[in-house]
Amino acid sequence: MLSIRQGQVSIALVCMVLGFMLAVQFRTTQDSKSSVSYQRVEELSQRLLQTEKERDGLLDEVNRLKTTSGQEAQSQELADLKMGAGVVPVEGQGITITIDDSKTKSKAGENPNLYLIHDDDLLKVINELKAAGAEAISINEQRLIATSEIRCAGPTLSVNNIRSAPPYEIKAIGDAKNLENALKMRGGVVETLQVWGIQINVKPDANVHVPAYKSTFHFQFMKAAAEDGEKQ
Amino acid sequence: MILPIAALIVGILIGTFSPISIPQEYAKLFSVALLASLDSVFGGLRAAAEEKFDNTVFISGFFTNALLAAVLVYIGDRLGIDLYYVALLAFGLRIFQNLAIIRRYFLTK
Repeated sequence: MLSIRQGQVSIALVCMVLGFMLAVQFRTTQDSKSSVSYQRVEELSQRLLQTEKERDGLLDEVNRLKTTSGQEAQSQELADLKMGAGVVPVEGQGITITIDDSKTKSKAGENPNLYLIHDDDLLKVINELKAAGAEAISINEQRLIATSEIRCAGPTLSVNNIRSAPPYEIKAIGDAKNLENALKMRGGVVETLQVWGIQINVKPDANVHVPAYKSTFHFQFMKAAAEDGEKQ
Repeated sequence: MILPIAALIVGILIGTFSPISIPQEYAKLFSVALLASLDSVFGGLRAAAEEKFDNTVFISGFFTNALLAAVLVYIGDRLGIDLYYVALLAFGLRIFQNLAIIRRYFLTK
């Protein structure tokens, strides 16, 4: 057995200090193992900071959009409504249709009316165009709006209370191909009219200009009512 | 031999139950200091076995070794030199050497 004769006390003292250090170090290592590493903490906190910054930025953007987009959305909606109502001139791809009375003479005993264009002929054309997705239609530069009428007025036709004589030029904005096909389909409007010799000419156009409704709106009886959801 | 071992156990107990703990950034320095003290203790044991133990040398060696090792590692950290490993290697080697010598004395006696 190794015996230490010299400096027992000092070695003991140093051993005590060493033991103390060992225990503390042991505990520290234990702690650091159980907790996440310093680097990881730093990385995570940095990411958190970045994410928070991003979130704040997005929040700012949301607020900014909320304050401005109210007006923007409204003006956009207003523009759409104006286009739909027909108070602004519009243009786009579509077709131009010219319709003229028949050149063939009516035979004796036949009704000459059959060879003339009537309001219902035009209505059929217009109806077909609408069904094919026309977004704006005008007849002889009269924009068709919700209250537009198409009506025989003697030898002329009245649209928006403006009379015009043949030939009639109908302009429609929409998918040019769709519109043309809708009119020209077998047994369709064009074919029916051509039986009577009525001259109808359909021409697709890359840029059709449809004028605005020129009169003003004047509502005598109608006034805005509360929406269904709001009463009760 | 009993007194140093008893003191060691007492020290471990004190360390375990004392509220002191080393901050993360100083854990490295402390571990080097610990190694230095371990080396000093083995050095002291060896000297005692060789019967040329000097109390002053031992005590001063213990503290200066530990402090110097910690300071060196700290400076190395600041300078970007990993003196930590150098200290580990040096003290580790010395510990093994001392252990070997102690073992021989232990066997021959």
